Amino acid sequence: MENVLSILFCLTLLYIVVTSRLKTYVSILRTQGILLSAIMVFPFINHLSVHILIIPITSFIVKAVIIPRFINKIVIDLDVKRIVEPSIQPFNFLLLTVASMSVMFVSAHVLSGFTPIEPIPFASAFSAIIVGIYIIIFRKKLIVHVVGFMILENGIFLFGTSVAGEMPTIVELGAMLDVFVVVFLMGITINKIRSTFTQQDVSVLGRLKD
Amino acid sequence: MDAVFLFGCGFIIAGAVIAATVRPLGRALTLFVAAVVPGLVMNAGFSIERIVSLPSVYPLIPSIPWCEPFFRADGLALYFLLVVTTVAVPTIISAHSYLQQHLGRGAAVRAFLVSFSLLLLATQLVVLANHAIVFLVFWELMTLAAYLGMLLEKEKEEVQKGSFIYFTTTHMATFILYVFFFMLHAHAGSWFFTDFHIAPDLGLLFYGVCGLGFLGFGIKAGFMPFHFWLPWAHPIAPTVLSAFLSGVIIKTGIYGIFRVIEFCSPLPAWIGILIMVVSVFSAIFGVWYALAQHDIKKLLAYHSIENIGIIGIGIGTGVIGISYSVQSLIWLGFGGALFHTFNHAIFKTLLFIGSGVIYQNFGTRDIERMGGIVHRAPWFTALFLVGTLAISGLPPLNGFMSEFLIFKGFFESASALGKYFPLFMLVMAVGLAFVGGLALACFTKIDSVMFLGTERSSLGAFTVTAADYAAMGFPALLCILFGIYPQPVLGIITSVIANNRWGIALQPYTIFAQWNMLTLVFVSVLAAIGCVFAAKTIGARRRAAPAWACGYRRQTPKMQYTASSFADEINSIAAATLHLRTHTSAPETIFPKRSKFDSHAGDFSEETFVAPLYHAIVDRAGAIESLSRTDIRYYILFMLIVVLVYGGVAIVWTYF
Repeated sequence: MENVLSILFCLTLLYIVVTSRLKTYVSILRTQGILLSAIMVFPFINHLSVHILIIPITSFIVKAVIIPRFINKIVIDLDVKRIVEPSIQPFNFLLLTVASMSVMFVSAHVLSGFTPIEPIPFASAFSAIIVGIYIIIFRKKLIVHVVGFMILENGIFLFGTSVAGEMPTIVELGAMLDVFVVVFLMGITINKIRSTFTQQDVSVLGRLKD
Repeated sequence: MDAVFLFGCGFIIAGAVIAATVRPLGRALTLFVAAVVPGLVMNAGFSIERIVSLPSVYPLIPSIPWCEPFFRADGLALYFLLVVTTVAVPTIISAHSYLQQHLGRGAAVRAFLVSFSLLLLATQLVVLANHAIVFLVFWELMTLAAYLGMLLEKEKEEVQKGSFIYFTTTHMATFILYVFFFMLHAHAGSWFFTDFHIAPDLGLLFYGVCGLGFLGFGIKAGFMPFHFWLPWAHPIAPTVLSAFLSGVIIKTGIYGIFRVIEFCSPLPAWIGILIMVVSVFSAIFGVWYALAQHDIKKLLAYHSIENIGIIGIGIGTGVIGISYSVQSLIWLGFGGALFHTFNHAIFKTLLFIGSGVIYQNFGTRDIERMGGIVHRAPWFTALFLVGTLAISGLPPLNGFMSEFLIFKGFFESASALGKYFPLFMLVMAVGLAFVGGLALACFTKIDSVMFLGTERSSLGAFTVTAADYAAMGFPALLCILFGIYPQPVLGIITSVIANNRWGIALQPYTIFAQWNMLTLVFVSVLAAIGCVFAAKTIGARRRAAPAWACGYRRQTPKMQYTASSFADEINSIAAATLHLRTHTSAPETIFPKRSKFDSHAGDFSEETFVAPLYHAIVDRAGAIESLSRTDIRYYILFMLIVVLVYGGVAIVWTYF
């Protein structure tokens, strides 16, 4: 079941790469949040306890409810154009992503021979990290960068479950808190720099340097 | 008793807190001095108390058991703790009057005081650390705190340049030390100093490790080819800090070299000879460069290099003693080195504090613009004179005593070892004597040009505060005391050397057999001179008249000997090697026109290999400058590429 959910997670990644509507980005974030919470619950479905449910519930609230709403609110408040501005052809981006993903899956398969990891969640996690970074690199709009960071963090989260036991709960909670703060700070910053720059586009942010 | 050390550190931290919070700044400064000085005195008392109870080594703070393995107060650590704290006391006292002129800067002064107390704390913990990582952390902290302290007048361009040179050079040294400690760790399987040991039968590994150790600590100490940062960094620091930098911080390099000798033992004799050659080279050229300087603080910085060289000669003698197991050499060599470390810390602090007072009054560090201070402040001149006599190695002051030990080591080794050693030691002795002569010439230059004669630039009042007198009086007193009656210090040094880990059993050896007689001679000669002086001055008629001028009636201050002309004769001997340059433009016309002369002292190590290396790196780096972007996305891309390369290498590594 975890493997199926991980594959679904990978499909959302492929979708986010080709889509260009901001709204889809946010709904994909929400879907990923739900998927992640589900992945965390599934191994313990037969013996649930409050202790085990803390992380899935927290991640559901933060990832599937609060952050998407917050991003939507920023988009409405700032009246951002509702499409992402890519600096790469969607088809090329898809090819790149698929290539990276296949590399990830092959390496995960290789690695699983040496270390006790589950290859599919592991590879999905790394694909999410890579795709998150790709989105930050290839998209200009600042609000899309927030989504990129979120996807990167989802990858780290999934990585935590794929090497269960190696990574303590506290680290996952810490990472989640980190990204939560980053999203808030970015929201505030975007609000603040709106007065100087009419468009939220990182390629002009270099002018802030001096 | 262990609570004393905790209290001492607590007082220093309290000083930092006071400096950061109390308002107004003037009161904060006074309270800072009032808090830190007792803390330092406590720590000095702690170290003396522990040294007396050697050879038993107690845990540093028995009441906190978990920190016990990380710190170890053995003889060497306690000795350097004593040096650090003793010298820090006058430095902190002089900070009170030195920083008065900067009070308007507000936050910058607070930042300076906080980083200074951090520096004091880190330096004390560096010498006490027994764990490589703890050592490196405090070492780094010490470097950074000193760097932050240098930035008090950060708007000046020379401060930016000098502090940057300091920062990069010490970081390079720290990097070398990282490699050094990692290699030791890989060999010993432990991070504790007490477990580190590497023997010469490992061949190349042994020489690699001890070479790295000597290199890393040698850069910090300022041995000759790696001294280039010192004349840049020390002049630009606020004078109170440069006193501490020159007196103590470079001594942590010496401390490190002593540790390297512990870890890599027994060192072969040729390493001892190499250390001696490098050191004598540092000593001679350090003092020669000092002779050519016009900047009083730069001059003192070069003298630090000279004195580090003298300490190094002692260390080299001791290493030769270890390798041939000649007891007297170990005692005399290491004893002389340790004693000179203390002595140099004392008189260099005295001289730097004095130069700070002069800088405050004249507003310049250029010797050529000073003069006639003795008429303004005779007692100040007397205190400064004590420092200059001590650093020149004249009896009966402390500099003479430690150099005497080192000289005695030469003659001992010549008679005990035979072979080619008599000749080698003769060369060394001549070298060290030459250094003493040049140092004397250099300080005659300073004393005569700065203090005697008439004032070269108009000067309002020459003020020396009570804090300055206290700060200079204390080290001056120590200079005289250690010179006339060195027995207590030599006792401390004896027990420190006896508590060593050089892997050699030491028989008791009295380094001071005839010292009581020497004390008697010094005291009686001094008393005789005093009596003659008193007989000539008391009741004598005082006559005040302008200085002797060969019958010429219209003297101006410009007609005096300048510092350059004073040193020119000696400097011209080795001008080409030393990169000394003079520019004279005297128009040859019938009627006199304005002519110009200026002399400039370069630095061979800086000009022949440091600067070319730096420019080569900058040129190469220019090739990738096009990668520098303002857009964050490029940097994330670069990070991704690097991470992927690492990941790829890791996978290939595991798979094949």
